[in-house]
Amino acid sequence: MASGCPPPFGDPGEMREGFLCPLCLKDLQSFYQLQSHYEEEHSSEDRDVKGQLRSLVQKAKRAKKKLLKREDDRTDSGSQERYESFSYGGVDPYMWEPQEVGAMRSHLSDFKKHRAARIDHYVVEVNKLIIRLEKLTSFDRANTESAKIRAIEKSVVPWVSDQDVPFCPDCGNKFSIRNRRHHCRLCGSIMCKKCMELVSLPLASKLTSASKEALSSHTSPNSSPNSVHGSRRGSISSISSVSSVLDEKDDDRIRCCRHCKDTLLKREQQIDEKEYTPEIVKLYEKLRLCMEKVDQKAPEYIRMAESLNAGETTYNLEHANDLRVEIQKVYEFIDALSKKILSLGLHEDPQPHPKTLQLQRMIRYSATLFVQEKLLGLMSLPTKDQYEELKKRRLHMVALETHGKQEERQKDFVSRSAAAVNGDTTHLKKGTVSKSEGWLPTSSISRESEIADPLLQQIDNITSFIKQAKAAKRIDEVHMLQENLRQLQDEYDQQQTLKAIELSKKQAEEEEMQREELQVLREKEWQREHHKFVSWHSRTCSLDFREVKQHQHEVAKENRNLTAHALDLDITQIKGDPSFETPTVEQLPAKEHLIFTLKPQNVPQCDKDQDQTACLNPFEDEADTPQLEDPANPFAKDTSPAVSFSNTALQSDKKEYNPFENEEDDEQTNGAPGSTSNPFEEDENPFQKSRGSWNSGNPFEEGSSTNPFEVEDGNEISGEEAIEEELLLQQIDNIKAYIFDAKHSGRMDEVEVLTENLKELKRTLAKQKEKSNC
Amino acid sequence: MNAVLAVKQYVSKMIEDSGPGMKVLLMDRETTGIVSMVYTQSEILQKEVYLFERLDSANREAMKHLKAICFLRPTKENVEFLIQELRRPKYSIYFIYFSNVISKSDVKSLAEADEQEVVAEVQEFYGDYIAVNPHVFSLNLLGCCQGRSWDPAQLSRTTQGLTALLLSLKKCPMIRYQLSSESAKRLAECVKQVITKEYELFDFRRTEVPPLLLILDRSDDAITPLLNQWTYQAMVHELLGINNNRIDLSRVPGISKDLREVVLSAENDEFYANNMYLNFAEIGSNIKNLMEDFQRRKPKEQQKLESIADMKAFVENYPQFKKMSGTVSKHVTVVGELSRLVGERNLLEVSEVEQELACQNDHSSALQNVRRLLQNPKVTEFDAARLVMLYALHYERHSSNSLPGLMTDLKNRGVSEKYRKLVSAIVEYGGKRVRGSDLFSPKDAVAITKQFLKGLKGVENVYTQHQPLLQETLDQLIKGKLKDSQYPYLGPNTLRDRPQDIIVFIIGGATYEEALTVYNLNRTNPGVRIVLGGTTIHNTKSKKIFW
Repeated sequence: MASGCPPPFGDPGEMREGFLCPLCLKDLQSFYQLQSHYEEEHSSEDRDVKGQLRSLVQKAKRAKKKLLKREDDRTDSGSQERYESFSYGGVDPYMWEPQEVGAMRSHLSDFKKHRAARIDHYVVEVNKLIIRLEKLTSFDRANTESAKIRAIEKSVVPWVSDQDVPFCPDCGNKFSIRNRRHHCRLCGSIMCKKCMELVSLPLASKLTSASKEALSSHTSPNSSPNSVHGSRRGSISSISSVSSVLDEKDDDRIRCCRHCKDTLLKREQQIDEKEYTPEIVKLYEKLRLCMEKVDQKAPEYIRMAESLNAGETTYNLEHANDLRVEIQKVYEFIDALSKKILSLGLHEDPQPHPKTLQLQRMIRYSATLFVQEKLLGLMSLPTKDQYEELKKRRLHMVALETHGKQEERQKDFVSRSAAAVNGDTTHLKKGTVSKSEGWLPTSSISRESEIADPLLQQIDNITSFIKQAKAAKRIDEVHMLQENLRQLQDEYDQQQTLKAIELSKKQAEEEEMQREELQVLREKEWQREHHKFVSWHSRTCSLDFREVKQHQHEVAKENRNLTAHALDLDITQIKGDPSFETPTVEQLPAKEHLIFTLKPQNVPQCDKDQDQTACLNPFEDEADTPQLEDPANPFAKDTSPAVSFSNTALQSDKKEYNPFENEEDDEQTNGAPGSTSNPFEEDENPFQKSRGSWNSGNPFEEGSSTNPFEVEDGNEISGEEAIEEELLLQQIDNIKAYIFDAKHSGRMDEVEVLTENLKELKRTLAKQKEKSNC
Repeated sequence: MNAVLAVKQYVSKMIEDSGPGMKVLLMDRETTGIVSMVYTQSEILQKEVYLFERLDSANREAMKHLKAICFLRPTKENVEFLIQELRRPKYSIYFIYFSNVISKSDVKSLAEADEQEVVAEVQEFYGDYIAVNPHVFSLNLLGCCQGRSWDPAQLSRTTQGLTALLLSLKKCPMIRYQLSSESAKRLAECVKQVITKEYELFDFRRTEVPPLLLILDRSDDAITPLLNQWTYQAMVHELLGINNNRIDLSRVPGISKDLREVVLSAENDEFYANNMYLNFAEIGSNIKNLMEDFQRRKPKEQQKLESIADMKAFVENYPQFKKMSGTVSKHVTVVGELSRLVGERNLLEVSEVEQELACQNDHSSALQNVRRLLQNPKVTEFDAARLVMLYALHYERHSSNSLPGLMTDLKNRGVSEKYRKLVSAIVEYGGKRVRGSDLFSPKDAVAITKQFLKGLKGVENVYTQHQPLLQETLDQLIKGKLKDSQYPYLGPNTLRDRPQDIIVFIIGGATYEEALTVYNLNRTNPGVRIVLGGTTIHNTKSKKIFW
C-alpha cells in the first residue's frame, strides 16, 4: 500500500567509485563490462534484494568492514524503520531526542530597576498630593471662616506669587480684573477660572481613606499585582504611610489644577479596579473549580467502574453510583456556568464590546470541548443484579486463575528471562490501555497470554536472527543459532505435550466451568464494546480472547482423535481464526490447534529449514514494508498442497501459525496507543481478508479484528435486551451531548438524525420499563 | 533539532509562566504567523488563552480581568505600541516576550512607561522564524536581494531569524558558506558577528562534534524552484499556495463557504502527516480509501437503527465520524482541486518536459518538446515561460542554442512582456557565469556511473527524475567530502569529524522538493540531523515576484 512503499524519490544516487557492480561489488573495468555483467548475472534478481543491498554498497571501499558490523546496524535500522512507520504528526522521528526548551534571556531585573526609579518619582508626586488633600480636608470647612481656611490652605503648599504668572499657563489667556488668578490648593500653581478643576470632598475622602486601608492591608498578602511590589520603598501602596488621623466630610470643594486632578483621578481609577471584580470573573472561577473537581474525581470513578465491571469487590457499587451522580452533576454545572458566561450582558442595552462577547464565546467553546472530551469517557456501572452475576463469575475465574498458575509453574522451568521481560511489557501495556480507555482485561486472560507467548516468541526471534546472520554470511553464527532453535523447539514440544496431558486430566471436571467462562467472556466482551469509544486498542483484547479460546481447545483436545487432524485440513487452510469466530464449530478449531501443537514432535528436525525458507521475511520483528506484503501469499501457497496430508504441508501450517502469533505479540508491545503504524495494519489486512473480510478497512485504525466478536455479540444482545436499561440511559446521555454539539456548530442535518435516534432510544427505554414492570 | 517543537515549547512556557486565569495573547503580524504554525486554537484554548489580539489593533477593549501575554518581534514600532499600551494598560498584568534580542535602551523606555506596574515579566524567547515542518523553517521574506547583494533590512531580518533558530535549538555552530555567492558570505559574517557579540547567549554545553551551519545561495540551483512538483505538500504549495499552514481555496469553482480557507497542519491532521511526502498517484489511492472508509461510517439517514446494537455502534462511531468528515471533505476538496488544475494546465505533459530539460542532455529532443508545448493552448503563459527559462538555463552555452527562436515563439503566443523578461532575468540570476557548481553535466566518474545506472534501471517515474543540487551537496557534507575550496569555513577552525547536526540555509528561498530531500536524508542517515531553512518557501508565485 501506498504509505508503505519506499519513497518514490528514494535516493538512487549511491556513492560509487570505479565501475562496481551494485549487487556483487565486483570491480569491473569499464561501462560495457559492467553492463554486460549486470545483465548476465543480476537481471533476474528481484528488486527487493537490490533494495536491501543498497545500503551495503554505499561504501564500496569499506564493504567488508560494513559487513562485519551488519548485525549491529541491522538492529538499529530496524528500530528506525518501525519508528518511521509511527511517524505521526509529521514529526520526523529519530531526529528528535527529547528537546529542552531553547535559550532565553530575562530583562526583568533591568526593567524593574528602571521602573523603580521612575515610579519612585511618580509615587512621591501622588503621595504629596494626597497628604495635602488630607490636610485640606482635615478640618471642618463649613464652620471655619474663609480667611482662616485660606491661611490653612496657604500653609499646606506655598502659593506661586501672582506677579510671576501674567498668563494662564494652560490656555494662555492674560489675567486681568475679570479673568482672575486662581491657585491650585494642591500644588500652589496658578490658572484661570476656566482651567480650574474642583475636587469634591467625597472624592477626597475616598482617596485618603483608601490609602489608609492599603496601609492596614499592607502586611497581609494581597492578590493584586500592584501590591506585589509592596516591599519597595515608596510604592503606591505605601502612599499613606504619612496619612494623618483626621478626615472629615464637607460639602465644599477644593480647587486644583488640571494636572493634579488628573493624577488624582488616575489614582481613583486604580482604587476602583482593585475592588471591582466583574461578574464573568466570578463565574469563571467557579467554572475552573468545577473542572478541577472533574479532573480529580473522574480517574477515581473510572478506576471504580472498571473494577466493578470486572466483578471485583474492592469497591462498593453504591458508593460508585454516588460518585457517578456527583460527577455528572459537576458536568451539568459546568455546562450551566459556561452558558451563563456566554449570555452575560447580552440583554443589556448597550451591547457589550464585541471583544467581551468573543471572550465569552471562547470560554463557552472551551468548556464544551472539555465536557465532550471527558464526559464521553465516563463508563456506566453494572446494575445490582448484573453486579451479583459479575461477582459470581469472577469467583469462577479466580478459580481458573489459580489453575492457570499451576500451569505456569510447570512452564517456568523452560521459560527464559528474556521472554519473561517480554511478558511483563505486554502486561504493562494492557494495564495502561485499560486505564485510559475504560476496559479491564480480566486478570486470568492476561495471564494466559503471558504464558503462551514467550517460547514461541523466542523461537521466532531466533529464526529472524538466523535470517540476518545468513544475510550477513556468517555461517558459524547461523549454525549456532540453528542449534539454539532446535533446542528451543524441543522444549516447546515437550512443554506442549506435558500441558496436554495435564490438561486432559482436569478436563472432565472443568469442562462445565469452561463453558461458563466463555459465557462470561462474551458478556465481558460485550460490555467492553459498549464502553469503547475509540476502537484502536481492540486488537489487544481480541488477541486475549483468542488465546483463551485456544486454551479451551487445548482442554478439549483429549477427546479428539489424533488422526482426525488430517480431515481438518480444509479448516486449517482457512487459517485458524475464522473458525474461532464461529462458536458453533468449536470442535474444529480445537483439532486444528492440536495439529499445531503436535506437529513439532513429529518432525522437529525439519523445522529450522522450513522456518528459514518458508517464513523468509514476513515475521521478522522489524519487518519492513515490502516484506510485509508477503504473509498473505505464503499462506495460500503453503496450505494448498496440504491436501496431500504430507508432513511438510502440516508443518508449513504450523510455521505460519507461530510467527503469526508472535507477530501479533510484537504489535502489542510496539503499538503504543495512538501511534498507529501503517505497515502493521497493512500487514493485518491480508490476514483479515483471508479470515473472511470483516475488515473495516480503516487505514487509521488497528481495531478491525474485533469485529467478528461484535457480530457474535449482536446476536446475543438481541436475546437479552431486558437488562440494558442502564446502557440505554447512557446512550441517551451521549446522544444528547452530540445533539448539543451539533447544534452548537450549526450542523442541522446531523441534529435531525440525532434527534431521530434519541426518540428511538427513548421509545425503547419506555418499552423496557414496561417489560421490567410486568 | 526540531524547529516546530522549539517554538511550541517557547509558547507553552509563556502560557504556563503566566499562571491560571483568563488570558489574552497579544501579538504582531509576524508572531501571529509564528504561533499559528505550532498551536491550534482548540489546543491553546485549553490553556485558558481565550483571545488573540494584534498589538496594533485599535479595536481592543480594556479588560482588566485578563492577563496579557505579549509575544512580539523587537521592532521599533512594536516597542512604541507597547509603550502606549503600558501607559494606559488594558489588561491587569503583562508578560512580555520578545522573539529576539532587544536593546537595553528599549527595555529602559518600556520600564519608564510602566507607571502602573503592570509588567510582570520581560524576556527574550527566540521563536523568530516560521517553523514549517520539524526540519524546515522559513522567514517568509520575498525578494531579499537586490541584484546580487543584500537589501540591508532583509539582511538584518535574515540574520535575526537565523540566530534565533540557533538559539532556540541551542546550537553554536561552525559556519560554512558558498564561496561563489557574495550574499552567502555576507550573511555568514553577520551571523558570526551576532554570535560573537552575544557570546553569553551562545554559551551552550559543548557537543563532541560542533554543529554546522551551511549557507547556500539559490542562484547556484535556480532549476529546482522552476519544476512542477508531485508530492502532496509541494503540489499544494505550488498550485494553491500554503501560507502559514493555511490554504486559500476561495478561487476553487463552486467551493462551499466553510472550505474557503482550510488548514493543513501535520501536527494535527493525521492524513496530511502521513501523506505529505507521497506523490500524487499515491495520494489519489489513499484518498479513495479514506472516502470509502468514511462512507462506511457515515450514519445513513434513511436506515433505521433497528436494534440496540445498531444504536450502540452509531454512538460509538459518531465522534470519530465527525472528526473524519472534516478531514475527508478537506482533503477531497484539495486533491480534487489539484487534479483539476493538473488537467486544466496540462501539467503532466509540462512536467515531463521540465524533467527532461532538467535531467537529460538531449538538446534536439528537448527543443522539439518545448516547441511542441509552446503551441499547446492549454499550457499557461507562465508555464510556457518556465519551460523556456529551463531551456535557457540548461542550454545557455550550447552550440546550437536557439533561445532567440523560442523567445519569438513566446512572443507570438502572446506571453506577456513581464514573463518574457523573466527568462533573461533568470539567466542573469542563475546562469553559468554565476553558478559555483555544475548543475547539469556530471564531471567525475562517480556521477557518470550514477547517471549510467539510472539509465540502466529505466526511469522509475518520469515526473520525479530530478534531484535537487542540495541532495548532492548535503550528501558530500555528511560524508565529510564537501570541498573547502567551494564551501569555505568562516574563521580559522575547521571540522575534523563528519558533521552530525547540520543547519542549511538557502538565501533566496528553499523549496518543498528540497524539504523532501532533507527529510529523506534524515531518514537514511542515522545520527545525522539536518534542518533546512530558507528566506522563503518557493512556489510559482513567489518566483514571479522574485525575479
